[in-house]
Amino acid sequence: MAKNISLIISEIFYFFSILVAVSVILEIIFPNIILAYFNLNYLITIWLISGLVGLIKK
Amino acid sequence: MFKSFLTKWPFLYKLRLILALIILIFIIVCLYFKIVPFGQITYHKSWPQFLGSGKGFIYNFTPGERISSTDRQLPRIIGDPIYFSLFTPRTFDQAKVTIKYREKLTDQTPIIELGLLMDKLVWRYNLQPLENQIIDRLRSNWLVRGGDGLVLLQSNSNYDNLTEFEGDLAKGFLQDCPGGPTYCLAVYNYQPDYTYLLPDQSRGKPLTINNPLRGAHQFYIYLKDEPLRLDFEFVDLNQDREADPITVTLYSGQQNIANQFLEDENPNPTSGDIEEKYLSLEKKELPQGVYKVEVRASNDIVIRKIFSSVHHLSFINKLWPVSTVGNLTLFTDSNHLQIKAMSPASLQTITFADQDYTINETYQQFSFQTTSQAATKMIKFSQDDLILENAGVFSWNEDNLFNPNFKKVDRFFYPDENIKYIIAEYNSPLEENGFKVASASFNLRGAYREKGKYSFIISIPGLRAEDGETDYLEIKEIKIELTGRTLWQKIFH
Repeated sequence: MAKNISLIISEIFYFFSILVAVSVILEIIFPNIILAYFNLNYLITIWLISGLVGLIKK
Repeated sequence: MFKSFLTKWPFLYKLRLILALIILIFIIVCLYFKIVPFGQITYHKSWPQFLGSGKGFIYNFTPGERISSTDRQLPRIIGDPIYFSLFTPRTFDQAKVTIKYREKLTDQTPIIELGLLMDKLVWRYNLQPLENQIIDRLRSNWLVRGGDGLVLLQSNSNYDNLTEFEGDLAKGFLQDCPGGPTYCLAVYNYQPDYTYLLPDQSRGKPLTINNPLRGAHQFYIYLKDEPLRLDFEFVDLNQDREADPITVTLYSGQQNIANQFLEDENPNPTSGDIEEKYLSLEKKELPQGVYKVEVRASNDIVIRKIFSSVHHLSFINKLWPVSTVGNLTLFTDSNHLQIKAMSPASLQTITFADQDYTINETYQQFSFQTTSQAATKMIKFSQDDLILENAGVFSWNEDNLFNPNFKKVDRFFYPDENIKYIIAEYNSPLEENGFKVASASFNLRGAYREKGKYSFIISIPGLRAEDGETDYLEIKEIKIELTGRTLWQKIFH
């Protein structure tokens, strides 16, 4: 169970990493496509938190 | 397949598949809102705003000094005009803008209009009415015919319906109107089907205007079955380092019938490198009537001289003389005049309809009103480099002046005994929970769009931030419904 949680945490970090990268690439190609609806700072904050949680769990 | 996914796939694969699907859905949703495949979308913004997540599509009001608000208040417009912009991820064909607002305006500011920027070079907006309190007040006293959209107001019951009225107007007369339609009809946001005929049917002498004018100008000319020739001499001041193309367009009604274009052969000039340019427009066999000429140029261009083969020539709404020659005289048909001095040397006392008015600040718009009953009013000024504006026409000679337009129900309109009819394309705002709701529709084809943004204006003529009055307009919500081509229409047509 603990192994699974550790796995989920690391996968969630990868997920947010890809999501941030996709969002930034989309925003560069089509300006305002994301920023008009959603502040990317929130997403980056969640991504950082997920990374920190992963580090602490290790 | 699904059973095998649940039982046989390792946990890691399942998790990765689910997260990958979420990313894929995210990308599809983003592209959906970028492409808007069904061609319809609505954007809105309401106030007061709390924790906003995205930048939104409707950008805040500018300039800041004409807005008074705190975070928890509705934005309060205290000066005219106010601008806002709309970002769209693609182009659209039509926009219906609905504004929810409440106002505390005075009798001096009875009109609220919303406009869409069509031409940035000459700052031309397509203005549509949101509220006209003069017409709303007259609705309760005058007889109203028509309803949704086009409405006819008459002081006496002469017409039973709009069709009868428009039929008579097209023939050039109206009941109870001996002076002709231009004397007893006022319009608002509507151009009736009417052919203006100049009372003086004699051909005048050709006209040469030697008073230099700066920037874009428009004028009416009246042709009496004669060939038209217009010669322009321009000076490109090259005060900025931009290219300054010049276009002269001849219109009959709304129709463009001739066009002359002068490209700037020196698109990156040295500052102050003055150039002379010439342009002619010739057209034969034009029927008798009113034509409009538009000279479209930046403020770097001075129209040094205009030669016109026709005698009757009136500048429309605006004139910016820059001759540097003293003691000039102009004529206008309007009782109102707005003047802005463009240099300290232009500060002076001007005479308008035999009354003196002082202009004591540069770049500040001064408004002057006269009660003169004369058909034309004289304007005298000792120095030019002044921008003169009103809702009427201007000319350098009294006998050149004519105005083919009907009286407009603007903020200076007063329904005197001559005005018997008002025709307007206008719907009064609706009341909703203490707010007023008004809409305006715009054709976005041909509208100016820069960096994905359309530019709008909210105009309340006469509203001034610096006058110390407590009049304002508060905006609660802006909703913009956009329609355009669907993805399938874009691909297959």
